[in-house]
Amino acid sequence: MPTLEFEGKTYEVDEEGYLMDWSQWNEGLAGVMAKEDGLELTEAHWDVIRFLREYFEKYQIAPMIKILTKELAKKYGKEKGNTKYLYELYPAGPAKQACRYAGLPKPTGCV
Amino acid sequence: MNGLGNVFNLLAYAAAAVFILGFLYKVIVYFKTPSPLNIPTTPGPKTSGGVVMRLIPEILFFRSLLKGGAAEKILWFGGWVFHVCFLLIVLRHLRYFTYPVPGFVMSFQQIGIWAGLIFPLALLILIVRRFTNDRLATISLFADYFVLLLIIGIGLTGILLKYFMRTSLVEVKAFILGLVTFSPAPMPDSTMFTIHFLLVLVLLVYFPFSKLMHAWGVLVAPTRAQADNPREVRHMTPWA
Amino acid sequence: MADFKTPELTGAVTTPKITPGASRHIKQFIAKPELMEKVGFPPQKASDWKEQFIRKMGEVLKKYKSVKVFLDICVRCGACTDKCHYYLGTGDPRNMPVYRQELMRTVYRKYFTTGGKLFGGLAAAREISDELLDEWWVYFYQCSECRRCSVYCPYGIDTAEITMAAREIMDSIGMGSKYNLEIVHKAETIGNNLGMNPDALKSTWEFVEEEIEEKTGVRAKLPVDVEGADVLLATPSADFFAEPHIYSLEGYAKVFHQAGISWTLSTHASEGGNFGMFIGNYNHMKTINKRIWDAARDLKVKRVIAGECGHAWRAMYAFSNTLNGPFDFLQHKSPQHICEFTLDLIKKGALKLDKSANDEFTVTYHDSCNVARASSMGNTPGDQFTIPRELINAVCNKFVEMDPNTTGERTFCCGGGGGVLTDEVVEIRVKGAMPRMQEYKKIKDSHGANFFALICAICKAQFTKVFPYYGIEMEEVGGVHQLISNALVMGAKEGV
Ligand code: HEM
Ligand code: SF4
Ligand code: SF4
Ligand code: SF4
Repeated sequence: MPTLEFEGKTYEVDEEGYLMDWSQWNEGLAGVMAKEDGLELTEAHWDVIRFLREYFEKYQIAPMIKILTKELAKKYGKEKGNTKYLYELYPAGPAKQACRYAGLPKPTGCV
Repeated sequence: MNGLGNVFNLLAYAAAAVFILGFLYKVIVYFKTPSPLNIPTTPGPKTSGGVVMRLIPEILFFRSLLKGGAAEKILWFGGWVFHVCFLLIVLRHLRYFTYPVPGFVMSFQQIGIWAGLIFPLALLILIVRRFTNDRLATISLFADYFVLLLIIGIGLTGILLKYFMRTSLVEVKAFILGLVTFSPAPMPDSTMFTIHFLLVLVLLVYFPFSKLMHAWGVLVAPTRAQADNPREVRHMTPWA
Repeated sequence: MADFKTPELTGAVTTPKITPGASRHIKQFIAKPELMEKVGFPPQKASDWKEQFIRKMGEVLKKYKSVKVFLDICVRCGACTDKCHYYLGTGDPRNMPVYRQELMRTVYRKYFTTGGKLFGGLAAAREISDELLDEWWVYFYQCSECRRCSVYCPYGIDTAEITMAAREIMDSIGMGSKYNLEIVHKAETIGNNLGMNPDALKSTWEFVEEEIEEKTGVRAKLPVDVEGADVLLATPSADFFAEPHIYSLEGYAKVFHQAGISWTLSTHASEGGNFGMFIGNYNHMKTINKRIWDAARDLKVKRVIAGECGHAWRAMYAFSNTLNGPFDFLQHKSPQHICEFTLDLIKKGALKLDKSANDEFTVTYHDSCNVARASSMGNTPGDQFTIPRELINAVCNKFVEMDPNTTGERTFCCGGGGGVLTDEVVEIRVKGAMPRMQEYKKIKDSHGANFFALICAICKAQFTKVFPYYGIEMEEVGGVHQLISNALVMGAKEGV
């Protein structure tokens, strides 16, 4: 089983680096993952991560992308409340990259 | 020569038995193996009458091959000519198996001779194709060359028998009729005929254990032989 | 974007030279023991896996006529060799359908044929080994079960049948695909591939209602678990999650609303798709499919309609009557496709449409392989091609066709079907999409096409993923009901 080291603690992750147990997550981990991808986490990135975690706690699943973009639109206005902007934040795909940083399992299915 | 004749008689019966029983066995196995689901390749016919209409052009004209590109056109030409010639030659040979010879068999004599001459050429196309195209060279197995060479062998020895190393047709006919009527007659005294005959026996024995079963499989492959009718008929699975 | 080269779009699909091993390194993840056990397979390979393997293969040969006959009769004529999008995209000979089949045929010869038992290697018979098994793992997960090879084969040999059997055999010895089995497990326990529980579903559907209201001023409802509704809609759960899928969901809801038809979604049967099919497992396919029919019976609906999804439609149209029929309790005794249903309404004049709403688009249509070659619509063979096109023409002014050698029954797969739609194999997905991308590029350049219309959830997800690799915007991917949704004039009811 692959692992991730952070501040002396070891976290189990799957083959693609998704945390095995979402409840073990902490903010520092997101930073570590982003750093590996060469990404700098801005406030906008954090908004996405926090929203994902809130939603997940309520529904045990990541939200539909549309819900996420709408949330961003509320805060940053229409020109940033769209999928394009999400892809700018998370080039590997919001559902997948952002979920990983947020410690959530990867959404599977025909998506 | 009677002793040797008897050996050939025995071999012939053994080969015929292997062919007939082997073929029947495969037919029964295919028949008994269920198709759990309705899987015709669509668009497909909705009725069994339609299935027959779908299969006829597949069998007579290798219709699906015609959907392909240049390589399949060459294959279609070689393959179709080969099969038609093969059929004509078999029909022509019936005259050795019958007495008196029925009229329809007689009517195939002339065209059968032509078929015999063209047939090795068609086979040549099929065999050359196999090593000149990188995809075919990759997928071709010893068995693929083996049947082609075997049938070419049958064709060439046939041509030799007809034009260069003639044997007594009276003896041949007596020998074959003897086989058919279970009253063994001596083998004609001709090395070329012996080779021709043995190669045919090899083909018979080989047939049911090989890809040559496509001759029957083409009729029963569920992707073509099933009707596309799940809305009308509840297809049942015997084992589930 | 990744450590492989995206094929160049030259505007023509050419047959590549043979490059052995070109895609040998592309592998799906193997499921962990816990997951294997959850779906009822052995946790991992046991020491006697070879015996199990051969035993299972013998069982499959007795249960599936397709496998038995196909393994026997292929003449290796080569007609299928350049018909597979994965071969065209990689040049790996193992992606030639007949050579993919050969991986199974060689084992078949060894253990189940006279020639193979007597002559071994001379008869091209091989013993099963770790190395051969690894090749099985690679190449039977580089087949999208799209059946294109079957169309050109003189005997209709369908490599998809061999692939499904191979996956079933591998599952039975403890070697399963993580991606596929996670989905099977979620579909069976939670009710959909994504694993959305009823609360998540309800809040999402409500969100979609709000979206529709925001855009049109009309609140077209997405009714949930309504007993006595006329129609139960079973659509892929991707429609509740991803883009552009969601726009087609809006389309369905608006169509039902405008036509005044009482319909419902079900939290129990919240998935149209069926990954049991991809792994060739009859029982899983049946269990997943059963949820739809349980919901239909419980909710006492009169008909069941399938949303936009290729393999889901195959499972519904061709298999569900066998698996969980008969459907005597329905007024419409067989499931219908949403395209059949909507076109019917349009023909009856029940919908008011404004084609100009789609004027910014020049639309082309990709026939999804499971609709094209594994199921049908309407009453006449081939209606599965005309119905979606009639729909598009009813709602768009500009529709153009791609090369006829690549549409209808000859359509190319998107490259992500059949359980291949997972990120670890993105290389094969991108390369497998090459033939379709060539044709789309061609029609873009010649006719200015800018909307790639689909009726398959997997196709939608796959193309949104691979378009950018080829330098095309993912926004050009969309659903047929998305176009209908754009053109549908809400409010003014014309009566049914
Ligand atoms: C007694 C009957 C038959 C015999 C002895 C026979 C023999 C053969 C042989 C030897 C080949 C291989 C040629 C090669 O390797 O290149 C072949 C191929 C083929 N056969 Fe037959 N066949 C028979 C019946 C049929 C029938 C009924 C069909 C109808 C669909 C058919 C369709 C084909 C096709 C399409 C090929 C592939 C083309 C080729 O490779 O030449 N055959 N057959
Ligand atoms: S087209 Fe059919 S018979 Fe020919 S090689 Fe392919 S699978 Fe075999
Ligand atoms: S079913 Fe499709 S993916 Fe599989 S071998 Fe045939 S053409 Fe290729
Ligand atoms: S995803 Fe679409 S094109 Fe690809 S295999 Fe399925 S139906 Fe076919």
